[in-house]
Amino acid sequence: MVVRQYNEELKYLERLSPQCWRIKKGFQPNMNVEGIFYVNDHLEKLMFEELRNSCRPGSIGGFLPGMKQIANVAALPGIVGKSVGLPDVHSGYGFAIGNMAAFDMDNPKAVVSPGGVGFDINCGVRLLRTNLTEADVLPIKEQLAQSMFDHIPVGVGSKGIIPMTARDLEEALEMGMDWSLREGYIWAEDKEHCEEYGRMAQADPATVSMRAKKRGLPQLGTLGAGNHYAEIQVVDEIYDKWAASKMGIEEKGQVCVMIHSGSRGFGHQVATDALVAMEKAMKRDDIDTNDRQLACARIHSKEGQDYLKSMSAAANFAWVNRSSMTFLSRQAFAKQFQLSPDDLDMHVIYDVSHNIAKIEQHWVDGKLRTLLVHRKGSTRAFPPHHPLIPVDYQLTGQPVLIGGTMGTCSYVLTGTEQGMMETFGSTCHGAGRALSRAKSRRNLDYTDVLIKLQEQGISIRVASPKLVMEEAPESYKNVTDVVDTCHAAGISKKCIKLRPIAVIKG
Amino acid sequence: MEEAVELTPEELELPPCKYEYLDHPADVQIHAWGDSLREAFEQAAVALYGYMTEIDKVDITGRQEIEADGHDIESLLYNFLDECLYVFSAEEFFVARKVVVTEFDKEAFSIKATLYGEEFSLEKHPQGTEVKAITYASMQVYDSGQQHELFVIIDI
Repeated sequence: MVVRQYNEELKYLERLSPQCWRIKKGFQPNMNVEGIFYVNDHLEKLMFEELRNSCRPGSIGGFLPGMKQIANVAALPGIVGKSVGLPDVHSGYGFAIGNMAAFDMDNPKAVVSPGGVGFDINCGVRLLRTNLTEADVLPIKEQLAQSMFDHIPVGVGSKGIIPMTARDLEEALEMGMDWSLREGYIWAEDKEHCEEYGRMAQADPATVSMRAKKRGLPQLGTLGAGNHYAEIQVVDEIYDKWAASKMGIEEKGQVCVMIHSGSRGFGHQVATDALVAMEKAMKRDDIDTNDRQLACARIHSKEGQDYLKSMSAAANFAWVNRSSMTFLSRQAFAKQFQLSPDDLDMHVIYDVSHNIAKIEQHWVDGKLRTLLVHRKGSTRAFPPHHPLIPVDYQLTGQPVLIGGTMGTCSYVLTGTEQGMMETFGSTCHGAGRALSRAKSRRNLDYTDVLIKLQEQGISIRVASPKLVMEEAPESYKNVTDVVDTCHAAGISKKCIKLRPIAVIKG
Repeated sequence: MEEAVELTPEELELPPCKYEYLDHPADVQIHAWGDSLREAFEQAAVALYGYMTEIDKVDITGRQEIEADGHDIESLLYNFLDECLYVFSAEEFFVARKVVVTEFDKEAFSIKATLYGEEFSLEKHPQGTEVKAITYASMQVYDSGQQHELFVIIDI
């Protein structure tokens, strides 16, 4: 990393609009394109503070600030357009979290990087609606939360309860949600409201290591820990009545269920394996990156193709995982209300991936080009009339699900034409962290956090008390700031605001 | 089921704590040190388990042998910690209270270690936070003179 004085670093940054900053070439070595990031006043301070903290030449320890990571991504071979930081961007590993970048499939030197997808491949958010209102749920809210907690295995070391053999796993990896459908865990309509219809066709379980399968098998159908959750939410605000009604959301107070989870140990191991394999290939192909965690391989090399196939298998795993938890949530509701999930109208509104690489077509400098779009902590947000979004949302644009954090609001946005042009049809994914985990553990008290949630009328069931502190709303950027910035910048449009009434977490 | 194993008093002896968790926005940075790089590696592995549960609730009733290699010291550390995470995450579901590096070749970049601990059990061990993976991000290994320490960011 180039270490300069803070004032020197600032010369490489230029404000383009109230919501947008440019990172000029030279900020990091070998930048092929420029960087850009979206912030409002509040988020801007956090970003610059992160940069300032890292400008301490000669010190040991430490980590790269998000802005430097955006610039490092801009130095990868074959990158097209700009390396983009969305409003929830913060320092991650390799790519920043909230960072997207597109690579030219027709450039033989262009790369795919597992660090641009993240370890939790196809981590994403699913939203189910119901025909219940807050008043229906409040009298049995505690029982319902407990029932969800009893149904869904959560936290580190928990194992799935949906019976799976090694052979089932192979089929699930290949078929994604078609497997869930065949086994009777989901409804046929669920697939329709899911990116890629819940199945990536390139998936090839043969490219996946035994280690990944062994880690994945016991964890299928588990929520995980960290920032993952299942929440019972109610509609708090409707900004776009027409688009909301296309999603089956008619009024304030309507109850929804949000599930945020990914591909569990399976995806983590697939990413780790690819990282190790690519390190070797980089030497062979003479590829140099600014950061070792940005290990990458040429898209058309064996390592690159193997990664895309195994990543797709992990994506399928994640969809099956969220589908299994959809099944368990429907069961929990059905038992409490003595009504079938069908009668409760528990349809999937949509399911988004916010850690994934996909082959897409985009207009670049007036030409239609085929790109490999990496989104890490970034959500696809396609505009109205895009061929890859379901027929129900052709006129509204793709629903974009932005999960908040424990106790804060979540949002549904829709994709816009401007986002398609500026950010390759991408927007933010959540709040993004502001406080470090270690700092949260030191500064916040477990019981205070719980009391505060209780005062807000939020029931909570959590496996690990420490996680309550790490995941407290104070540890995150304000999701409303993040979403408002996306809306103001025009890269996606606000549709619905949801607030939690019960949270189930690892 | 784990086999009952005989453990010597020496094997049951607990090492001092020479690690800490440093601030990082999304994840956790482990800082581990020791009188030698070997000890710093051992400490980093214990720190990994310490984030996933409360380490003082783990008893030493069994052992696991692991091996890893690499092509430089960073990849050795990466693969070693990945191996430690793997025995926790898959069949065995083993959580260690103590890690002893039995062979440490800094030229050929290979390592063998014994993990002392027991099978993870939701009844016995409080759930900490899940570690998804080890990362190379800002990884630093210092091994010269009196300085034997390392920094590694784990993905949460």
